[in-house]
Amino acid sequence: MVHSPSHTAHTDTNPPDSQVDLYGPTSSILELRSVSCAYDLSRPAIRNISFSIREGEILCLLGPSGCGKTTILRAIAGFEPVRSGQIFLSDRLVSSCAETVPTEERRVGMVFQEYALFPHLRVADNIAFGLHQLSRAERTSRVQEMLQLTGLEGLERRYPHELSGGQQQRVALSRALVQNPVLLLLDEPFSNLDPDMASRMRQDLHALLHRTKTTTILVTHDHDEAFAMADRIAVLNCGEIEQLDSPELIYHLPATWFVADFVGQADFITGQIQQGVVRTELGAFPNTIDGIEGAHVVVMIRPDDIHLIPNKSAEPRIVARQFRGSENLYTVQLPSGQVVHGSESSTSVYHEGTAVELRVSATHTVLFSAEPPPCS
Amino acid sequence: MIAVRRSSISALQLAVLASAALILLPLGYVTTLALSADPAVWQRLWATRVPELLLNTVSLAGAVALLTLVLGVPTAWMVTRIEFPGRRLWEVALVLPLAMPTYVLAYVYNYLLGFGGPVEQLWQLVAGPQARIFSPQSFWGVTLVMALDTFPFVYLLTRSALLSFNGSFEEVARTCGASRLRTMLSVTLPLLRPSIVAGVALVVLYVVSDFGAVSLLRYQTLTYAVFQQMTGRSDNQAASILSILLVVLALLFLLAERWFRRKSRFYQTTGHYRAPQRIQRGWLHTGLLTVCLATVVGLAFGIPTSLLVMWSLSQEAQAILDTRFFGFVWNSALLSSLAATAAVLVGLPLAYLASRKPTWLNLGCLQAAYAGYVLPGPVAALAVLVLFLKIMPFFYGTVLVLVVAYVLHFLPAGLQSLEPSIQQITPNLEEVARTLGLGVQETWRRVTLPLIRNGVIVAWVLIFLQTMKELPATLLLRPVGFDTLAIRVWLEASEEYYQLAAPSALLIVLVGLPALLLLLSRDWRAA
Repeated sequence: MVHSPSHTAHTDTNPPDSQVDLYGPTSSILELRSVSCAYDLSRPAIRNISFSIREGEILCLLGPSGCGKTTILRAIAGFEPVRSGQIFLSDRLVSSCAETVPTEERRVGMVFQEYALFPHLRVADNIAFGLHQLSRAERTSRVQEMLQLTGLEGLERRYPHELSGGQQQRVALSRALVQNPVLLLLDEPFSNLDPDMASRMRQDLHALLHRTKTTTILVTHDHDEAFAMADRIAVLNCGEIEQLDSPELIYHLPATWFVADFVGQADFITGQIQQGVVRTELGAFPNTIDGIEGAHVVVMIRPDDIHLIPNKSAEPRIVARQFRGSENLYTVQLPSGQVVHGSESSTSVYHEGTAVELRVSATHTVLFSAEPPPCS
Repeated sequence: MIAVRRSSISALQLAVLASAALILLPLGYVTTLALSADPAVWQRLWATRVPELLLNTVSLAGAVALLTLVLGVPTAWMVTRIEFPGRRLWEVALVLPLAMPTYVLAYVYNYLLGFGGPVEQLWQLVAGPQARIFSPQSFWGVTLVMALDTFPFVYLLTRSALLSFNGSFEEVARTCGASRLRTMLSVTLPLLRPSIVAGVALVVLYVVSDFGAVSLLRYQTLTYAVFQQMTGRSDNQAASILSILLVVLALLFLLAERWFRRKSRFYQTTGHYRAPQRIQRGWLHTGLLTVCLATVVGLAFGIPTSLLVMWSLSQEAQAILDTRFFGFVWNSALLSSLAATAAVLVGLPLAYLASRKPTWLNLGCLQAAYAGYVLPGPVAALAVLVLFLKIMPFFYGTVLVLVVAYVLHFLPAGLQSLEPSIQQITPNLEEVARTLGLGVQETWRRVTLPLIRNGVIVAWVLIFLQTMKELPATLLLRPVGFDTLAIRVWLEASEEYYQLAAPSALLIVLVGLPALLLLLSRDWRAA
């Protein structure tokens, strides 16, 4: 799983200015300029991270554990010193190798993976923790407002250990949002919930963030979560951003082998460029990367791009079927031994050993150079 | 098969009941003795001794508790939250004072702070030849000695709480706009409070039941008074009245602490956790920290130990290192081994049955065994003494009486390592052995015992070392002429023969050091 950038469409991911231009001249809430963090054995290093985020946008940092996504979040919050590069919050320099503005002066809200609700304070006092400069009456009304917004009315006298996981998460969220942070940071907010609860909370949270127009950075290792929540996704690997794009582009036009593999099931079919097209076992594909004649390349194909048609004279054979509820995922072996996957609606069932003909109907062709280089 | 099982269980049950009786009978008898006393005796005591003794005991406990907070909490903070050269060394060194029995520290400070002692001479160089410092035989003297000796309890518990502290709590407070100071006051300290309170409770119990330091520094507390009533006046009835007061006082402290801890049980952090980062510090801070920590460790352990070594090397001390001295060593080792073995044998069935068959009877027996927790040494001695005088007077003056008193006194310490080690083995392991054809006893020998072996060894070693240091019960109950190391230290130190007391004292300190490793490795929140 730890492949690293295998180059290709790399250039258009990095300088974030091109992204900003797409949306017209809006002020960015947060900007990271080639940020690197000191290497420490216990924490993953990050190298040369640059991106910016517009007001009201939800940006997701997606990557496997140890890729440095939490380190980025902690650098933005001011917990992690920056070795080189700068971080700007609301156009103010907050982190550079020379100085680090203390967390409490940054006005960022943060929800930790385990929520970190103060166990010695009631729900209302937890939420009011950051409001100590306000008068008592103002504090109470702000807390009430927040409780309503997050559907926690009636729980304000409880202690954190008396709440369910979902309620705890909403308290943590309320505590972060009540101070009107410029930026909300969410560190794997759904990882402590069971899958059903997580998907419900995901919808609620998405609606809430849009309603409150909260600029948010969400860290996760779950691509479904990233697709459901994010306006844009930055896929990280080995401390570097591999691609920063909308969820749709990330899925359909992955910039690197790693991204393609990480955000969903994909097969990589080997091929060779001959006479301007890529010839593979599954047919010819357009040469979209201007590869030189004779070069070996791979074509990325997702299971939903492949259709199976039973055909007794065809050579590919179904070797396994996995029932997934709404669809069946078939594992098909090609004559060369190469294995590909195809999904069909769950109403049509083909048995193992069935000979099938494969139709590839990809809207985009994604090509990579032949071998994934090992992670640096 | 079933018959075998039933008979062996009931044998165990009998052993448990006998153990509980062994503990409860002396206590019950002392209580009866106190309650059946003539009201005039109560009145006399109440009018003359009790108010002063209570005030002395409570104020000493309060002052020592405060001083241990000042010594224990900041030192724990320094070694867990700041990274500086030598940190690991100090982390261990701060526990060393626990190896020093209070009477040893008291006798060293009696010399250091005494009339014409080294500290006074230094002070006179600064403040003129007539200047005086506070006497070690005063409230402040005893407070200083007791605090230096017991602050590691607070240190250990605070340290382990800080080590398991979830750093996210502090970080989230910072994202809520709280400064470092406010974070510490409103998040870190409240979350550490249960552990700090538990540490202070240990200190208070220790101070209330201490005999060694107060007797050498002539400070009147309830515990010391119980001893005096038994020896000076041979008035066991007055002694039992004072004992009851003492036990009630200790129980009150203990209940207050339990109540406090129950209220904050949910403070435990759950789930995912991130250890707080240590702050890196430069040379200036390292220097300051080292001076602070060196002062504390030096006062509580370094200077006293160096003096003991120096005295032990003196000619007077060398002269007493003869066969008589090795006799004392042998007596100490013999008594300690007997007590440790007896306590483990008594404790094992109690802990085992309470864990495997938690009926109210078995749990009650286990709780009874913990009664020794609030029994100061002289009280345990008194209880065993009066009972033996009543029902088996021919055993009076034998080692048996002494061993029973030790078991009564130190059983709780042993149970604290026996109980968790038994609870950690799931009964499934024993049951699977039964399905593989092993009998009850075979299962015990081949499955249970090997698994709890470490817990048993730890319990044995702890009781052995505690008995080695024990002073008041040994003083009161020992057979005539049967002296141990602890007795020798106390007798010589009472006469201010500092050099003569040193070899025994040094030996006790050195033998006590391995126990500290156990303390450092054990989870102190469980205590």
